[in-house]
Amino acid sequence: MTALSSLDGDTIAAIATAPGRGGVGIVRLSGPAALAIGEQLCGRSLQPRHAHFCQFSDTDGSVLDSGIGLYFPAPNSFTGECVVELQGHGGPVILDLIVRACCNLGARLARAGEFSERAFLNDKLDLAQAEAIADLINSTTEQAALSATRSLQGAFSREVDELAEAVTRLRVYVEAAIDFPEEEIDFLADGKVAEQVTALQQRLQQVLNQARQGSLLREGMKLVIAGRPNAGKSSLLNALAGQDSAIVTPIEGTTRDVLREHIQIDGMPLHIVDTAGLRESADVVEQEGIRRAWEEMATADRILLVVDGSSPDADIASAGLWPEKNERLGAELPVTVIHNKADRSGRKPTVIQQGNDTVIELSALTGAGMDLLRDHLKQCMGYSDSTGSQYSARRRHLEALEEAAEFLAAGQEQLAAAGAGELLAEDLRHCHNALGTITGTVSSDELLGEIFSSFCIGK
Amino acid sequence: MDYPQQFDVIVIGGGHAGTEACLAAARMGCRTLLLTHSVDTLGQMSCNPAIGGIGKSHLVKEVDALGGAMARATDRAGIQFRVLNARKGPAVRATRAQADRVLYRNAIREMLEQQPNLSIFQQAVDDLLIENGRVAGAVTQMGLRFRAPTVVLTTGTFLGGKIHIGLENSAGGRAGDAPAIKLAERLRELPFRVERLKTGTPPRIDARSVDFSNLEEQWGDTPLPVMSFLGSVEEHPEQRCCWITYTNERTHEIIRGGLDRSPMYSGVIEGVGPRYCPSVEDKIHRFADKSSHQVFIEPEGLNSTELYPNGISTSLPFDVQYELVRSIAGFENAHITRPGYAIEYDFFDPRDLTYSLETKAVPGLYFAGQINGTTGYEEAAAQGLLAGLNAALAVRGEEAWCPRRDEAYIGVLVDDLITMGTLEPYRMFTSRAEYRLLLREDNADLRLTEQGRKLGLVDDTRWARFEAKREDIASESARLASTFVHPQTAEASQLEVKLTKPLTREYSLADLLKRPELEYADIAGLKGEPLADSQAAEQVQIQAKYAGYIDRQQDEIDRLRRYEHTLLPADLDYNGVDGLSNEVKQKLGDARPETLARASRIPGVTPAAVSLLLIYLKKRGALERATARQSA
Repeated sequence: MTALSSLDGDTIAAIATAPGRGGVGIVRLSGPAALAIGEQLCGRSLQPRHAHFCQFSDTDGSVLDSGIGLYFPAPNSFTGECVVELQGHGGPVILDLIVRACCNLGARLARAGEFSERAFLNDKLDLAQAEAIADLINSTTEQAALSATRSLQGAFSREVDELAEAVTRLRVYVEAAIDFPEEEIDFLADGKVAEQVTALQQRLQQVLNQARQGSLLREGMKLVIAGRPNAGKSSLLNALAGQDSAIVTPIEGTTRDVLREHIQIDGMPLHIVDTAGLRESADVVEQEGIRRAWEEMATADRILLVVDGSSPDADIASAGLWPEKNERLGAELPVTVIHNKADRSGRKPTVIQQGNDTVIELSALTGAGMDLLRDHLKQCMGYSDSTGSQYSARRRHLEALEEAAEFLAAGQEQLAAAGAGELLAEDLRHCHNALGTITGTVSSDELLGEIFSSFCIGK
Repeated sequence: MDYPQQFDVIVIGGGHAGTEACLAAARMGCRTLLLTHSVDTLGQMSCNPAIGGIGKSHLVKEVDALGGAMARATDRAGIQFRVLNARKGPAVRATRAQADRVLYRNAIREMLEQQPNLSIFQQAVDDLLIENGRVAGAVTQMGLRFRAPTVVLTTGTFLGGKIHIGLENSAGGRAGDAPAIKLAERLRELPFRVERLKTGTPPRIDARSVDFSNLEEQWGDTPLPVMSFLGSVEEHPEQRCCWITYTNERTHEIIRGGLDRSPMYSGVIEGVGPRYCPSVEDKIHRFADKSSHQVFIEPEGLNSTELYPNGISTSLPFDVQYELVRSIAGFENAHITRPGYAIEYDFFDPRDLTYSLETKAVPGLYFAGQINGTTGYEEAAAQGLLAGLNAALAVRGEEAWCPRRDEAYIGVLVDDLITMGTLEPYRMFTSRAEYRLLLREDNADLRLTEQGRKLGLVDDTRWARFEAKREDIASESARLASTFVHPQTAEASQLEVKLTKPLTREYSLADLLKRPELEYADIAGLKGEPLADSQAAEQVQIQAKYAGYIDRQQDEIDRLRRYEHTLLPADLDYNGVDGLSNEVKQKLGDARPETLARASRIPGVTPAAVSLLLIYLKKRGALERATARQSA
């Protein structure tokens, strides 16, 4: 007998460990396809209840992480279904990528409390625990909704709503053309629908790009350290990296080429580039270093402008760089000003917000204020707190938007290639359902209601 | 007196629901009685003289696949046949026929009179016999008691019917017919939720007073479509055209001038009318910026001079009707033969029914047609057939049957009604069917004939013809999949005329057929013999063209299938389910869905709510029982 709980036959996946900075992170898969998906990710067969050390690979073959793959056959597992656990190195980005790979292989994201729900339905939890699950489903649904709104921040959430409304309007036209062919409203034939589909596609793409800003999370943020010679740029790199990557001397112009370092802050990748100090120089090698520094800054996600906070002309020094930076790279490129050498200037480590820019007082040498910088960088990457629920919310929204975009593209192709309005309608229905997982679904009766209030129907 | 003979199934009402119900029960071998207030109006089309249309023809063809009468009667009575959406894909194509009312009635009457096991009796029904909580028969006006363990009630708009013309109103079930007042009162004593609905008709026009010279003609399609799987063009009577005219600003002014005496706008009518079939006063009021509305002028029949002006249904006073009709092009001197009117009637909340259309409160009693809040002949026929066959199954002691949403529009219709109820007269649209690409007019026979045969609804002739077609489709699909065209051959160059790029590798004929540029006729004869059966060939083509989408819908169906098998106990106290919001509790309590799948389809019931229900069932130990019952 198959397990009762997987009534929908879906295999579900989610991060099973508490969010945050744990040393180990676990992705759990449960359902009929768990073993197949797990084996594909691990690149090997999994023996029941054996720990297999392996590399977790994405569908394109790239290695995401290495860790332990564990397989628990039904019914002897947490949920009573076939379960695979992938234990990796933690860190939200990597775990998120593993979950995404699971989804690409046919799993879907688990709903709040769904593992426990399945466990209960398969007699793996007792009645008392069941009460807790009901509460969990209920509260986490609300909490997920809350954190979804938070992760989607006002403007973005509005755009998804508007997108869903635009799909509704489009469906009103398409469905009206199909269901009321005698009403002189054949928008499929007059090209109006094709236009709207294209417009909608562009809009969806924009929203998707915006949502993917979180891709900084996945691919990491490129941070370029720049500033006058001897402001302590290399010391800052070393303090962030926690090792002596750069040679630090009191002699100006020590760094002549660019130095790169890849670090992680709470599992979030950061590519730091240390550059030559910016000044007029007659030294040909140093000139080349400065040219490269500007080149690196041009491709940065953010610049850390390091200023010697103990020098009396600290404020002038930073102000002096602005015109040139804005001129060369534009004002949009965000800058964090680091007032270094707080140990000497005697200023307290603090974060000061100045318009769009942030000024941080710290000492790379003593490490005072470095935590402020790390938190600031995490926030810049969109990782604003450590609850992790935003993470799954974001993943869920990305999945939904991507799915919506795929259906829309398929529908447009059907309309363009075969003039198949009914297939466009079918793809739009799926597109709408995908967005509906964020915004709430629209029933066919509500859609008909929209048609009747938009057009005068009825012979 | 007690009628001496005992029946298995009694059907009350001889409209489109009632006739299909009694024919179905009789086909299944039950001793069936049809009780009607008038034998002469059996199969009467009370509203416009047309059968089919978008979503509706799907129902007609499904009824046909289950051996029903409507499609065959339409083939014998249709005087103009068209395929709507012909330029769109096959899933949304729909056949529509103008029917001669007299020919249609005659065709139905003939089928009824020739049906073995079926008796007809003319007398209005005043009461139901209810014994030990079960239905036991019906009592007619003169006190005659007919006994049967099952009764199908198909009383249409006759229950508590009230006809409005202007501010005047009178009791009536249809213009010229008395309503069923006593029966309505009796039914209101039973524990059903009763509401009022409203519908209307336009004034009829004498064709001899119409100037057709400037009117646009609309003829049927060539070649002529047929409605029934067994139908043929030879059955069709002489074909006629319809005409199209338009309302104008003056028409709208006249209507606006009469709104103060409109029963709709003065609050006399409490029933809710259909949004998709508004009265002309409604159109002008709600879409004030539209300066003109279409009016389809439909002939009532070959030997009738009456016309049905579709699009100007109204309940305005007669003097306003007279003026508004005469303001329309072609109608300048029109004579009205019957005034338009609105009718209000009782309907029962269909959420009080099970999927077999049996009432939850009175076992053995079935409701079908407008009594359930639907509108349309086709919707009525579909329910009638279903109620009739389920009454017969109950008599045999067998389990009830209803197609699922992914099997038939009949399934969509019933599921929508019993799950969500309705606030306006419910009409079928293709957009109501999420599996629209599977539920096509062209494959109604493939979807349902086999089931119909099992139930005993399908006769030998239909079955033989069906099996031949099915075999043709299977063997031809297999042939196309195993026949290949190679690049740089004569066949390839023949194809490349239609293709944008030459073939680079070998392709099966089946793969080639999937391409939008190619049709069955282009590929079938390249190698081997094409099918002679054009219906089967069409099927092969449609299945190939829709293949990817059909697979996807099938996956969706399979995923949801198991929720269909999880039964919700009839006595479930939704207030006791932890975590459900009050709104969801209210909705579930009103609907009392029979399965978890139905619960999940009620708007507002979220996936989290479904989870909470599952956990609740498990806690009560009801989940194993529910699932066991299903697999037993």
